[in-house]
Amino acid sequence: MNSLLFLHDADVLPGPVGALRPLAHDLHVDVPRHPGFGTDLDEAATAWDSVGDLAQHYLTTTDDTPRHLAGAGFGGWIALEMAVRAPHRFTTLTLVSPYGVKLSGPTEPDFADILLLDPTEIVELGWADPTTCHDLRMPGYPAGLPDSDYERAFADRAALARYAWKPFLHDPRLRRWLHLITIPTLVIAGSHNRLVPPRHSAALADLLPAARYVELPHTGHYPYLERPDEFHRLVRSFLKGETR
Amino acid sequence: MRLYHFTEMPYPFVPPEAEHAHRGLKYFMPNRYYDPVLGHQLYQRYLDEYELADELGFDLMVNEHHQSASTLQVSATLSAASVVHRTRRGRVLVLGTPLPHRESPIRVAEEIAYLDAVSGGRIDCGFVRGVQGETFPSNQNPVHNMDMFIEAHDLITQAWTRDDVFSWEGTHYHYRYVSVWPRPYQRPHPPIWISGTSTRLVEWTARHGYTLCNLLGTYDDTATSFRLYRRTATAAGHPEPGPDRFAYMALCHVAPTEQQARDIGRKLMYYLKPGRLRLGAASPPGYFPPASAVAALQGRLGAVRRMSYEDLIDAGILLVGTPDQVTAQIRRLYEHTGAGHLILMNHAGDMTSNEVRDHLTLFAREVMPAVTPLGTDWRDQDTTWRVDRDHTPVRAVLSSALS
Repeated sequence: MNSLLFLHDADVLPGPVGALRPLAHDLHVDVPRHPGFGTDLDEAATAWDSVGDLAQHYLTTTDDTPRHLAGAGFGGWIALEMAVRAPHRFTTLTLVSPYGVKLSGPTEPDFADILLLDPTEIVELGWADPTTCHDLRMPGYPAGLPDSDYERAFADRAALARYAWKPFLHDPRLRRWLHLITIPTLVIAGSHNRLVPPRHSAALADLLPAARYVELPHTGHYPYLERPDEFHRLVRSFLKGETR
Repeated sequence: MRLYHFTEMPYPFVPPEAEHAHRGLKYFMPNRYYDPVLGHQLYQRYLDEYELADELGFDLMVNEHHQSASTLQVSATLSAASVVHRTRRGRVLVLGTPLPHRESPIRVAEEIAYLDAVSGGRIDCGFVRGVQGETFPSNQNPVHNMDMFIEAHDLITQAWTRDDVFSWEGTHYHYRYVSVWPRPYQRPHPPIWISGTSTRLVEWTARHGYTLCNLLGTYDDTATSFRLYRRTATAAGHPEPGPDRFAYMALCHVAPTEQQARDIGRKLMYYLKPGRLRLGAASPPGYFPPASAVAALQGRLGAVRRMSYEDLIDAGILLVGTPDQVTAQIRRLYEHTGAGHLILMNHAGDMTSNEVRDHLTLFAREVMPAVTPLGTDWRDQDTTWRVDRDHTPVRAVLSSALS
C-alpha cells in the first residue's frame, strides 16, 4: 500500500492524530503542517494567498513515487486542487468533508463560518457528541492554555484567512476541472457534520468521475478523531482494494 | 484649539430584545428593524444639528460605519457632501474613509477631490483602517488590512499630486490609467488625518506628518501615543510637531448645573456599551498581531467600555458637567497630551434634538471662547509634552476604546 500524504484540516493539532496512528501501521503516513500554520516556511509563505499556492507547494516538494492522497476539510480542498493539477500523480484520493467547491446558490452558504464562530460553536456544529471533543486547538480553546498556544492558534486562523477568506472557503475555478479527477476517490462525511453538511459532500462526490460516497453515522466533521476505528477500517480497506 | 461637532447618526429604535438576540447593534443586525420614515426624519434632524453647530462656530466631523443601527452614516464622503451643502463656514473633517474596506481607492480620491472643490477647500481628509467588525460587511480580507491601507493611501496621494496619466500595478490595486479629475482645491491636497494607536500606524503617521487622532482613549494612553509620534517625527528630521498634529475625541454634554448635565449626559453611555460581538468579529483573523489578539481574547482591550459613568467623567473621556467644569477638563487634556483638535461627540442614542441644541448653544457661548486659544502659543510654553522636556520612555498602547 506504500505511502499516504494526509493534508490536515483547520483547527486540528499537528501530527498523526486519531485514526492516522493505526493507518501508520500499514503504510507510511505523512501529515505535513501547511506553510503558515507553524512551519519553517511560514515567513516565505506570507506572500501565498490561495489554496492553489499550497497545491503547487505540495506538488513540487513531493517526489514522483506512487502514493495515496488524502485531505480533511481545508486539507481536502488542497487535495482537490492538487488532483486537478496532476490527476495521475496519485494512486487514490480520499476526501473527508472537504471545503473548496461551492455548489449552492449565491444566497445559500455551503459551509459554516469557521472564521467567525466561537470555538464552542464550532465544537457544537462539528461533533456528534461535543462533550468528547479532542485534538482541536482554537483561540481560547481549550481553556487554560498558555498565551503562546493561543498566539499560535490566532496565527493559524490568520493563515487560513489568507488562503480562504474570499471567496469564502472555495475556489470558483475549481469546479470546472473536477472531471479530470479520474483516480479512485473516496468521499467520507459524518452524519452529524454541520460545518460541511453531508449533502454537500455527497453532491461533490457526484461531480467526481470515480468517487464513492460513504456517510459514517454518529460522527461530525472529524470522523478520524470521533470514530477512529470505523474511519481506519474504511480507509484501510479502500486503499488496500484500490492498490491490488 | 479647534472644536468639531460630531454625531454617529444612530438609529435608536431597535427593540432591546432584538439587540440582545443579535449580540449588539452592529454588522449582523437584520434590517427589518429599520423604519424608512423614522430614518428619514433622523437624517434631517442630524443634518439640522450640523447646520446649527456650523452657525455656532464649530467645525464638523462625519464618519461612516456599515450594517449598523448605531450609525446611519454609510459613507463619510456622502455625509460630507450633505454637510458641505448645509453649511458655509466650518471645516468638514471626513474621519474617515476605511480604505481597506473600499473596493476602489481611485473613487475615494475622486470623491475627496470633489468635496474639496465644491466646498472651496473646507475638507480635512481622514483615512482609517476600518473597525474590526466591519471586516464582515465589507468582506475584505482582514489579513491584508494594514497593507491595503498603506497601498491605497500611496495610490490616492499620487493620484492627487501627479499631473499626468500614470499606471498603478500594485499588490492589491491595479489601474492602467490614472488621472483624477477634479484635482483637490487645497494644494497639494487636503490635510490628512489618521486615527489609531498601533505602533506601526502611529510611526507611519508621524513620518508622513499627518494629524493623529485618538478616539476615546484615556488621557495617559493618548499622551503615550502622541509621545511616540513626536519622537518618531523628530527622529525623522521633522520640526517639533505642534498641537495641530494631534486630535482627541470625547463625548460631551454641558448644562447649567452639574446635576442637569449628568442626568442628560448619561444618555451618551449608549455609545460605550460593552461590545457583545463574537471574538472572531472583535478580533478578525490577522487584523491584530497574535499577541494583541490574545490581549483581545483575555479582555485586555477595550478597557474604556468597562468604566463606570462616574469614572469616565473623572477621566475626561466623557466631558460632562457645567461649562466651567468641562473647560477645566479640556485644559487638562491639552496640558496632558498637547491635542490641538477636539472632536466632540455631542449626541448618542436617544438624546433629543433639544438636548443637543441646548448643549451646543451653551458650549459655544461659555466653553468655546475659553478653550479656543489653547495651543496657539505652544512654542512659548513649557508644557510637559514638549520634546525637549519629555523624557518618558516610549511604550506600546493597547486599544482602549475597542469597538
